[in-house]
Amino acid sequence: MSALLEVDDLRVTFGGTAAVRGISLTVEKGETHCLVGESGCGKSVTSLAVMGLLAKGGKREAARLSFAGDDIRYYDEKQMSRLRGDRMAMIFQEPMTSLNPAYTVGSQMTEVLRRHRGTPRAQAVDRAVELLTRVGITAPGLRLGQFPHQLSGGLRQRVMIAMALMCDPELLIADEPTTALDVTVQAQILRLLAELQKDLGLGILLITHDLGIVARVADRVSVMYAGEVVESAPTAELFRAPRHPYTRGLLSCVPVPGKVKRDEPLGSIPGVVPRIPPGFIGCAFRDRCSFAEAACAGPLPRRNVGPAHEMLCILPEGAGA
Amino acid sequence: MSTPAIEVRGLRREFRASQGLFAPPRRVVAVDDVSFSVPAGSVLGVVGESGCGKTTLARMILGLLEPSGGEVLVDGKRLEGMDRRARARLIQPVFQDPFSSLNPRRRVRDIIAMPLVAQGNVTTSEIDRRVAESLERVGLSTEQGTRFPSQLSGGQRQRVAIARALVLRPRIVVCDEPTSALDVSVQAQILNLLAELRRDLGLTYLFISHNLAVVEHVASEVAVMYLGRIVEKRESEALFRDPRHPYTRALLDSVLTPEPGLGVPDVGLGDIMPDPANIPSGCRFHPRCPACFAPCAATTPRITSLEDGLVECHLAG
Repeated sequence: MSALLEVDDLRVTFGGTAAVRGISLTVEKGETHCLVGESGCGKSVTSLAVMGLLAKGGKREAARLSFAGDDIRYYDEKQMSRLRGDRMAMIFQEPMTSLNPAYTVGSQMTEVLRRHRGTPRAQAVDRAVELLTRVGITAPGLRLGQFPHQLSGGLRQRVMIAMALMCDPELLIADEPTTALDVTVQAQILRLLAELQKDLGLGILLITHDLGIVARVADRVSVMYAGEVVESAPTAELFRAPRHPYTRGLLSCVPVPGKVKRDEPLGSIPGVVPRIPPGFIGCAFRDRCSFAEAACAGPLPRRNVGPAHEMLCILPEGAGA
Repeated sequence: MSTPAIEVRGLRREFRASQGLFAPPRRVVAVDDVSFSVPAGSVLGVVGESGCGKTTLARMILGLLEPSGGEVLVDGKRLEGMDRRARARLIQPVFQDPFSSLNPRRRVRDIIAMPLVAQGNVTTSEIDRRVAESLERVGLSTEQGTRFPSQLSGGQRQRVAIARALVLRPRIVVCDEPTSALDVSVQAQILNLLAELRRDLGLTYLFISHNLAVVEHVASEVAVMYLGRIVEKRESEALFRDPRHPYTRALLDSVLTPEPGLGVPDVGLGDIMPDPANIPSGCRFHPRCPACFAPCAATTPRITSLEDGLVECHLAG
């Protein structure tokens, strides 16, 4: 039985920049796989490449890219657009820019069903009302007639989620779905996603920079740096025994309430994410890594360092811990 | 007792929100009768959800927005009627977004020099010296001073914004979400820099953030705002150890710490969102409060003084 989404050795280049450099990951039915990393690490490009939504000039290559067992590498635009919004749905970070300001919530929601399934309008409206209720929106009838600007940020994000669910998708790709929201609303939205996943058996590819979110919702985590997955493990394993120096640095930067000491410096990673030219060899983190040595400039092995725990680093076990 | 760096008395600000072409505008009270003082050399953190009035408060303290009532004293002086240049020497802002708060067509060193130039009485050589000093303070090189903002990373741009705020050697800096637009690793660098500058220069910060963990890291005292009111203000350690207001507790519980296996908490706030144009009767938090009881909807709670701060809740009375 193949996974819901299988990505093997995905590469994306934009002109002279290699944005994604050989990423492999899978999302099983009912599983949440988190892609975590800082801005510019290629996590959003990865999700766009999977959906076939790369901006002009982006070139995609992959050894395998399959959805529910079907190879979608050579799907044309028509086949992809049939898939998107139907069996493969998306939620983006900014609900204000991803909802059309000129149409009501109702017309945008029903359009999804009418386009993909040819569902009659009345039935589509019923489904929209049902889903708005499902995502915890009171007075769904009223909301259907409203425009996006009349809704608060939390409501808009709920509308986005409801819209993504219109066609009963199997895979949900969520790119920073709660980043623009208040912490209180963020908790509500993430609870909702977890509930929906349990009820509907959704596979979720969640893209975030927030390790707090990762710890609380992910089944599996892939840490991205400069277009590569540098470490990948089941969530509990990754937080219990982070191995890659970048993962460890990232974890030390996060202030944890109740554990921070005032006036004591936080951990930080010196320097900035480098721009990687095509053909780059070796570890992209080596200039910022305190354990770097000469061998880091050579080809790196992807090694197993624990149960289902892989990393892209030559650092031996126990070093620098 | 020395003069507080910032003192705010009965501060209030109303806006008129248009409801459409023919409907009468609604009154929105963004900050409602807020009083507090910040001792020199300390850091007051202000937290709350979007729309709670924290940025409006900051803008009034900076003198960028006129209060509808009450007064602001900065270093013991009334802001009203103060000369803009004198005000700039006293208090300076650092804003959230280093992408839009820096002029993209000017070089970094000119951006940093601008407050000095605006003073009008500083010589060119003095400006050069002070700009170089500021650049060094925030960890930027002279060469980076010759670049344009677009050639710098987000963290470097925020360093430029901090250098610009410091070039007049102010006593007080208002930081409005200074790290919200940054990555965690860069956020840590900037927070460490701000802490170091405060220690070395004896600065006072008003530090606004929606990230409680960040506030806990930097603030000596924390004010929690809800719909224009400060509902709890405590010494930082006490607030995080033993929050007294149900809203503070909900905010703290909403923070997702990187601890796997705990799942996402249900903080019990319900689905009603706060609306500053429609402030509930009695305690303004009561429609969302998990601990709401009989008097909450009817009576406005009084401020209860605690050993280490104050709280505005019927349960604390």
